Amino acid sequence: MGSHETKSTEPVVELPDEWWYKVYVAVIITTVVVISLLWAFSRYFSS
Amino acid sequence: MRFLDWAVVVVYLVYVIWDGIRMTKHSGSAEGYFLANRSLPWWAVGLSVMATQLSAITLVGTTGQAYTDGMRFIQFYYGLPLAMVILCITVVPFFYRANVYTAYEYLERRFDAKTRSLTSFFFLMSRGLGVGVIIAAPSVILSIVLGWSEVATIFAIGISTTFYTMVGGVQAVTWTDVKQMVVIFFGLGVVMFVIISQFPAEVSVTDGLRLAGSLGKLETVDLSFDLTEKYTLWSGVIAALFLFLSYFGCDQSQVQRFLTAKSVSQGRTSILMSAFLKIPMQFFILLIGVLVFVFYQFVTPPMIFNPVEDAKVSQTAQYQTLQSGFNAAHETREKAALAFINDQNDQTRAAYVAADKGFNESRKGAVDYVKASTSNSSFNDVNYVFPSFVVAYMPMGVIGLIIAAIFAAAMSSISAELNALATATTIDFYKRHFKKDGTDREYVRFGRIATFIWGIFACIVAMYATNLGSLIEVVNKFGSFFYGSLLGVFVLAIGVKRARSRGAFFGLLFGIASVWVASNYTNIEFLWFNVVGCVVTVVAGYLISLTVSDAAQKGEGE
Repeated sequence: MGSHETKSTEPVVELPDEWWYKVYVAVIITTVVVISLLWAFSRYFSS
Repeated sequence: MRFLDWAVVVVYLVYVIWDGIRMTKHSGSAEGYFLANRSLPWWAVGLSVMATQLSAITLVGTTGQAYTDGMRFIQFYYGLPLAMVILCITVVPFFYRANVYTAYEYLERRFDAKTRSLTSFFFLMSRGLGVGVIIAAPSVILSIVLGWSEVATIFAIGISTTFYTMVGGVQAVTWTDVKQMVVIFFGLGVVMFVIISQFPAEVSVTDGLRLAGSLGKLETVDLSFDLTEKYTLWSGVIAALFLFLSYFGCDQSQVQRFLTAKSVSQGRTSILMSAFLKIPMQFFILLIGVLVFVFYQFVTPPMIFNPVEDAKVSQTAQYQTLQSGFNAAHETREKAALAFINDQNDQTRAAYVAADKGFNESRKGAVDYVKASTSNSSFNDVNYVFPSFVVAYMPMGVIGLIIAAIFAAAMSSISAELNALATATTIDFYKRHFKKDGTDREYVRFGRIATFIWGIFACIVAMYATNLGSLIEVVNKFGSFFYGSLLGVFVLAIGVKRARSRGAFFGLLFGIASVWVASNYTNIEFLWFNVVGCVVTVVAGYLISLTVSDAAQKGEGE
């Protein structure tokens, strides 16, 4: 199914895998920090 | 609702429909109509991913849930960031580079047409019925709150969304999702501000949160490992992880979102947006429910939040007696709350907790009375807490804004689902089995017809779903039967080299059967069905594949 429309002529830039691995680690660390903050929030207001 | 509120709702509806329709010019080709020519920026796709998941019932139901149960529900989302990372590594580059229109299209390349058709068929059935429920749930609530008939709200939501989705395709879905998310966030921000401003002068936000916290309503981490407990850290991190992997990675309504991105990198970034924002966003929504709870510590709440059910019994003598007891229990709790705020010690805290217990028993008596009087044992008014609060206590204009936000949440989910249903119908069935060499124009025209038919079908299901509570249960169960097993098929396809088409096909059926057994013969909570379905599908699929020789596989694939 070919497209009748003009696609963007901008070159597609794909970031390297090494960069993405750093992002994934950042996501996991951020999640752990957020859950910890939520836990601290609960403890603070329920104590 | 006054004139200004109605004006806000009407302006919202007219703008969204116009915004969707003007996308027609980008939808001439099949790739434009179904995949936006793979040209959308990551932030628009990311907001669309979030908008698709945030349905009206999430918005209305979770605020009500926070009012009654507190914030425990947030644990459901703890597995989402990890799921998004796994999907970024696996299916996003995989589907994007495979240049597919649907997730199920890939299964034919890896296995056979039979496996593709079966998975796509299950998707169409579960999602087709599911969209009906997505329309029905807010329609019932809005019909009661706005005083419209259910049919009117069903058609206001269902037909308007079907219309712009049918005309504008995925471009309309995505760009209206972006605006709808703005309406939702802005509306919720205003509500939070207004609720806090309506607290008594001597009660600060910290005091309010201290009240909620003392009753366990701010509990966000439950470390107990109990398969019969719905929301714990483990059910969120493990069981919900499987659900999110399946929903975001194998459900066409979400896969189609990231397939519209400009590149693999933009597709990854779009779904990682949810990884970062989903938990804070859900916290924010639940916090509104908690703040409504705090507000009602100092203002007498309705004894029954559903005004229609309330009206059926409110004239009886027993109801009046229950109402007197309820009012007295509220007064006692209000005094205890103020005493606790003024002097926070163990005694005042214990007195407040005891007063809240008495209040809850009083309300439970009223709810039991409604159940008995109306012969409706499944009566539950949690979903009415937030809308009834908005209509009763929000200022003019803000009510309209929140009703528009509820419409936006419903429409953003429905449009994406209809678009995905139309895409799967067109690509996996019409193009695959009936019109292999069709033109772009034919596929787009069929996609529009499919969107229209699915929209009408969803509205009809919604009309029945409003009267049949059990249908909603059936649809939800059917979805949970399917999701884990579907994930299992994709794990076999992408991660198990030895997997064969016969293994995937029968593995899927075994997985669904295992979930049926688990749901009927165990007490485990539905989130764990996803784990059961996935594991059984992978194990059964692998073992069956071992019985298939390479020569036999070649014969099957042909």
